[in-house]
Amino acid sequence: MSVPDQPSVSKRPLLPEFPADRPLGAIYGRNARAVIERGFRVIARQNWAILVSGFFEPVLYLLAMGLGLGALVGEVRGPGGTSIPYTAYIAPALLATSAMNGAIYDSTWNVFFKLRFAKLYQAMLQTSLGPMDVALGEIFMALFRGFLYACGFMGVMLVMGLVTSPWAILMVPVALLIAVGFASVGMAVTSYLKSFQQMDVINFVMLPMFLFSATLYPIEVFPEALQWFIKAMPLWHGVELMRHLAVGFVSGATLGHALYFVVMTIFGVWFTTTRLRALFLR
Amino acid sequence: MTDTAADLQRLAASGRVPPPEVMAARARRWGWWYYIEYWLRTAKAWAQSILIYMIGEPLLYLIALGVGLGTLVDSGVGTVDGVSYLVFVAPALLISTVVMSTGGELTYPVMAGFKWDRLYYGPHATPVTPAQIGTGHFLAVLIRFFVQAAIFWAIMVAFGAVPRGVLVSALVIPIGVLSAAAFGSLLQAYASTLTDEGYQFAFVQRFVIMPMFLFAGTFFPLSSMPIYLHWIGWISPVWHGTQLARQASYGAVESLWLTAVHVLFLVACTVIGVFWLRRSYTRRMGA
Repeated sequence: MSVPDQPSVSKRPLLPEFPADRPLGAIYGRNARAVIERGFRVIARQNWAILVSGFFEPVLYLLAMGLGLGALVGEVRGPGGTSIPYTAYIAPALLATSAMNGAIYDSTWNVFFKLRFAKLYQAMLQTSLGPMDVALGEIFMALFRGFLYACGFMGVMLVMGLVTSPWAILMVPVALLIAVGFASVGMAVTSYLKSFQQMDVINFVMLPMFLFSATLYPIEVFPEALQWFIKAMPLWHGVELMRHLAVGFVSGATLGHALYFVVMTIFGVWFTTTRLRALFLR
Repeated sequence: MTDTAADLQRLAASGRVPPPEVMAARARRWGWWYYIEYWLRTAKAWAQSILIYMIGEPLLYLIALGVGLGTLVDSGVGTVDGVSYLVFVAPALLISTVVMSTGGELTYPVMAGFKWDRLYYGPHATPVTPAQIGTGHFLAVLIRFFVQAAIFWAIMVAFGAVPRGVLVSALVIPIGVLSAAAFGSLLQAYASTLTDEGYQFAFVQRFVIMPMFLFAGTFFPLSSMPIYLHWIGWISPVWHGTQLARQASYGAVESLWLTAVHVLFLVACTVIGVFWLRRSYTRRMGA
């Protein structure tokens, strides 16, 4: 009696192992790459146009504000007190802002849609994935987007002759650091939001942060109390960090700004994981 | 009990219920108004968050750009167009924010009406026509923009950004609504032709609405850009609205024929847009 040909079966066990003794065994299935793979498939199939077009946003800002407004403003005081053209002043700030925007849109609107409408995460958690796989995978995707934008924007800055220091090469990894900070916290916040109207809250935090964080003009024009408030916000640290690197004015303060984002990221990943766990596992 | 149920009961109890054909004739005549009424009633649910936004946005923009950036500009070139930067930028920000709000009200909600919530199909089951539904939605949104423009204007007055006085400057409110109508009607008509949500709305946001905000003379006079970029202003409802609003708020000097062109352009866009959207709604839902 002949045995019918069996389809080749992979050696990997069909059921995941969740040993209770492995660290994070209950929440991490060691398979975040499955979430990432799905993310890339989606980009390849449908939304690459949205993704790519997002790059134009900061570039249009740079052109409009730099050329048009630069004519009205002239030179301004940059880090270390040197006088720099207005375009060179706002370019690093716009890079920091675009890293924030890319990360926030990916980790809020996208996550919101998947959470409330597509029920994607519910589906993922029916598989061997744990909440931490989902969190890491999604944060990675947001980060990837931030990386693309940062590289593109750096290219534009190079062409426009706005890169004047070798330190500026660090602006790309720093953009990632900013992005990961915002993405990790943004996703946790999104898990609380239930309706489109509540999503306005995100704009409500982002718009003032963009407008006031020394992006378009120095914060010294504001009263000191307001300045302290601005300095507590993450974007200001991102802007300062970028601006220091752009002109090569690197000091202890530069490192301090970077540390802000390291702490923000650690907090954000923990927060997101806890939230997703609460949402899905009860 | 809902308002509608109460209305119906009162109507029934009155013993003066018109015969169905009369009711139908009324709906056929006033359908667009019925839709506005419906929209306003549902808008109550998120009126609070819209209101906070409508107050918060002008405050933020005027402080950040008018006062903050103004400090930098005023110390750079002194005055822009003969006035301080705050006065220069305030009317433009009003027009821009109102026009940009069309991106929220007349894109996804339109698609939701046809596709997701299918809210348009309820009234469509009555004698209300698709064209009336489209017009109703459009006019209802304009009411919202009117409130938004009025709040913005009041905040401009509070900032002392209207040298021509409170009364004349109030003209910026109808100018804002007209600008939003000019762009919004076209946007709504376009949105109503889309059956699948892909990248279109995001593209409109990025390649139409955003450049209009940045390049249409909002933050700096069109003349400070190279001449080959001026066309962006000329075809933007934002620029035409802004130029009119500047005349109303601080008396920007402009030749009469140019003012007439601004008004004509905005009216023409509105008429074309409304005509197009009525046609598109009818085509999509059947007469």
